[in-house]
Amino acid sequence: MKSMRRFLSRLVSFATRRQADQRLKEEIEEHIALQTAENLRAGLSPVEARRQAMLKFGGVEAMKQDYRAERGLVLIENLLGDLRTALRTIGRMPGLAAVITLSLAIGIGVNTTIFSWIQLILFEPIPAVSGAARFLLVEPLTETGGYPGASWLEYRDLQTRVPALRDIVASQMMPFNVGEPGQTERIFGQLVSGNYFSALALKPATGRFIRPEEAERPGTEPVLVISYDYWQTRFRGAPGVVGQRLRVNGRELAIIGVAPRDFQGTLPPLKFELWAPATLAPALLGGTRDLEDRGIRAFSLLGMLKPGATREEAQAELSTAMLQLARDYPEASAGVGGEILPFWSSPRGPQRLLISGLAILQGVMLLLLLAVCGNTANLMLARGSTRQREMAVRVALGAGRWRIVSLVLSENMLLAFFGASLGAVLAVWGTTALRVAPMIGAFPILFQTGVDAVSLAFTMSLGVACGLIFSAAPVVHLARLDPQEGLRSSSNTAPRSRARKILMGLEVGVAMVVLIAAAIFLQSFRSARQTDPRFRPEGVLLAAYDLSGRNPDAASEREFAARLLERLRSLPDVEAAAIATNVPLDLHGIPARPFTVQGRVRSEAGQDRAISNTVTPGYFKVIGIPLLKGTDFAGMEDRNAPAQAIVNEEFVRRYLNGADAIGRLMQTRARSFVIIGVARNSVYDAFGESAQPAVYLSYRDLPASQGEIHLRVRGGNESALAPEARAVLRDLDPMLPLYDVRTFSQHIERNLYLRRIPARMFAVLGPLLLGLAAIGIYAVVSYAVSKRTKEIGLRLAFGATSGGVVLQIIRENLGVISAGAAIGWVVALAISVRAGAKSGVNLPVFIAVPALLLGLATLACWIPARRASRIDPMAALRHE
Amino acid sequence: MKQKTDVLQGTLALMVLKTLDVLGPLHGYGIARRIEQISGDLLAVNQGTLYPVLLKLEQEGAIASEWGASENNRRARFYRLTKEGRKQLQVEAQDWQQTTAIIGRFFEVKAEDLS
Repeated sequence: MKSMRRFLSRLVSFATRRQADQRLKEEIEEHIALQTAENLRAGLSPVEARRQAMLKFGGVEAMKQDYRAERGLVLIENLLGDLRTALRTIGRMPGLAAVITLSLAIGIGVNTTIFSWIQLILFEPIPAVSGAARFLLVEPLTETGGYPGASWLEYRDLQTRVPALRDIVASQMMPFNVGEPGQTERIFGQLVSGNYFSALALKPATGRFIRPEEAERPGTEPVLVISYDYWQTRFRGAPGVVGQRLRVNGRELAIIGVAPRDFQGTLPPLKFELWAPATLAPALLGGTRDLEDRGIRAFSLLGMLKPGATREEAQAELSTAMLQLARDYPEASAGVGGEILPFWSSPRGPQRLLISGLAILQGVMLLLLLAVCGNTANLMLARGSTRQREMAVRVALGAGRWRIVSLVLSENMLLAFFGASLGAVLAVWGTTALRVAPMIGAFPILFQTGVDAVSLAFTMSLGVACGLIFSAAPVVHLARLDPQEGLRSSSNTAPRSRARKILMGLEVGVAMVVLIAAAIFLQSFRSARQTDPRFRPEGVLLAAYDLSGRNPDAASEREFAARLLERLRSLPDVEAAAIATNVPLDLHGIPARPFTVQGRVRSEAGQDRAISNTVTPGYFKVIGIPLLKGTDFAGMEDRNAPAQAIVNEEFVRRYLNGADAIGRLMQTRARSFVIIGVARNSVYDAFGESAQPAVYLSYRDLPASQGEIHLRVRGGNESALAPEARAVLRDLDPMLPLYDVRTFSQHIERNLYLRRIPARMFAVLGPLLLGLAAIGIYAVVSYAVSKRTKEIGLRLAFGATSGGVVLQIIRENLGVISAGAAIGWVVALAISVRAGAKSGVNLPVFIAVPALLLGLATLACWIPARRASRIDPMAALRHE
Repeated sequence: MKQKTDVLQGTLALMVLKTLDVLGPLHGYGIARRIEQISGDLLAVNQGTLYPVLLKLEQEGAIASEWGASENNRRARFYRLTKEGRKQLQVEAQDWQQTTAIIGRFFEVKAEDLS
């Protein structure tokens, strides 16, 4: 009670300490005046009276100290004082402080950005759904280890047969054609079970969500929930949106509600805009049998453990249930087991891949941050040695070890705090940049990364950790300081720190590897762009259509493609038109198909594979790949010709040893094709790739519901064809949107953009490491030099030239640097050879990068060395 | 060195309380004079040490202070005992007497008394 009261009044007097000081001063003056008067009465002279009074009062300053200690919170007062001193000290070294703050900020900022990404995937996997990390995936698992998804009936069974999970929900992603005839757009949505929104515990932004009974029987309520973004862009956030109708795949659906703001569906990072009851599937998908056929495994399931249940229980129940289903429905479920997976390891998203990549990146970046701390420690040590005198004076005047430590710590912590704060700002910028991911192919993707309280806490703990790490060395150093020693001389021969030099060499080595990698990457990227793709992308317009919403059969797919081509070819500006299932230089690449071919016996086990693209007749003319032998495919309406294939030169060279290919039979998993032509090699996946075997199959034989239209313009601008192509498709089918319309050049640019990301990362990381290495070298050398002022002074006094001194310092340090650089160079060379650089080792890079690095290293040595060599020998010796 | 201050402060605090109890409100110099008169040398050298003790007592609520005019008509801080301080004085005086009694007995004991 008493101590509490004392603490409170101390707190008050801490706040009013200036007033209290004034009061004490007055009291002391009064006290001395009264004593002086007393002494005067006793007959002393005025001067002596006052002197005696003062003597009697005792040491005013010591008393004041006691008084202050009694009065306020010493610890906080000291801390504030330290911070003030630290601020002043930092203010006196703006350059150094800026370098430290900036390098810390970059290190911490990058780490926080990666951390917030990991955090998003691991702990907040479904934006707007709190605690989504607890959701588990319920995945059927085939014998071959594939995750085919669950059928609707299977879902209904599992709902009751896995009691350890509550509220299993099902969803299926689906592109919808939304809008009135003639103005449809392609929008991604999810068909969901009736408990979807209630299980996710979401609250509608307006209206209501789908009720369980609305997804009970096939063809029930035609209702629709839209995303917040769609509400804002399409309906301008109008409150009356509920009750409005939207035409989806030709069906009128009533909007019943809007999902909460950040909700983007349950397959992140894909972003969905619409949610409809799964029971609408037959109505929306042209009578699909999704709801009855156990063989159509289109749904992904997720659920949450019941309180008290464990994942193992759920797994056991699921395995039993799947065994039963396999027994009951062998034709659809034989050999299909089940697996309970944590949400982040979803087989359907990029999460699993991302997590491992991000974890590695985080590790590398933490190492980088450690290097920054090492640099900072060296810089602080270099400065610390010039401050030894100051510290010695402080100790001599009675400052305790802890006061010195706290002074140094508060300086460093303040710097770390600045770095962390700036790092947080960088992270905010970085995470926002991540949000603006481009569309990959036709899929809308959104990572809702952001800096929240957790990542901010991470940032600040990184800052504190950094501060502690780079404080350690100077603190230990200063705390051991003997004031006498410190005052007498500052040149106690410091132990030549091996660790410091190794760190310096290591930094140089790592910088070397990354810089060479970056240079090779950038150069090959640039030269690849100038290589000939061996086809003619100029003048070609690309656009996609998708019939899958109609649930069409092969005949109607073929017929649709034929009619579409016929209309397109009749356009006056179109020189040639074709449809293909794949476009070269696409981001996700072109799939390869296993096959066997007549006249080829494989010597080793395994299967021959070739890139496979299914195209309509006329494709080679549109894309500008000449047929070297044979003829183009038979027409789309030809019913008599056998299934045909056209292979490329590399196929003939690799699999047929250059023999004549025409007329040979080729067998894929499903059927056999006769080879009718040989096309020239071209680029398929990436610029600068080595020649790949490829086989073209005919659209006539293997029609698909999705197609990429290729249009070659007859002179003029290919992008002008877009409205005409749209009109053609609208005429043919008013409910079908044309999507992903782009010129071939745009297509290439877009995919290069994504391929450029690693190149960009290297381009940023390279200079960063170069800068770090330079700072590191500078720090080590200036520290070493500051320790040797006396020695240098002696040398100069004995007639050494300043140039000679500089040379000697550089030579001493360049040894370690060269060693590090050499190791890095060898590592980079080994990587480059192993990576199979087909054009041989890139000599200019392997010469230019070390030259640059060593040049910079020499400069970083030279600056502190020159400063040291400029000292006046007499001053240096006397100062010591 | 710290402990010595503590003992001094402890006894000083008791002296201050007793002085204020007997003489009523006084300023710092007055208290110092009184203690000096009674205790002789204890405060003769370092009158200043009185002030931290006064502050501590005030923070504990045993004494209160306000500005007033001293004998030579200057502004001075006058300290007076509060109700709580009076209680504290009683308790501490008792404690002190007990302690001194015990310590006194200890010093009277001779080796042969214990055998």
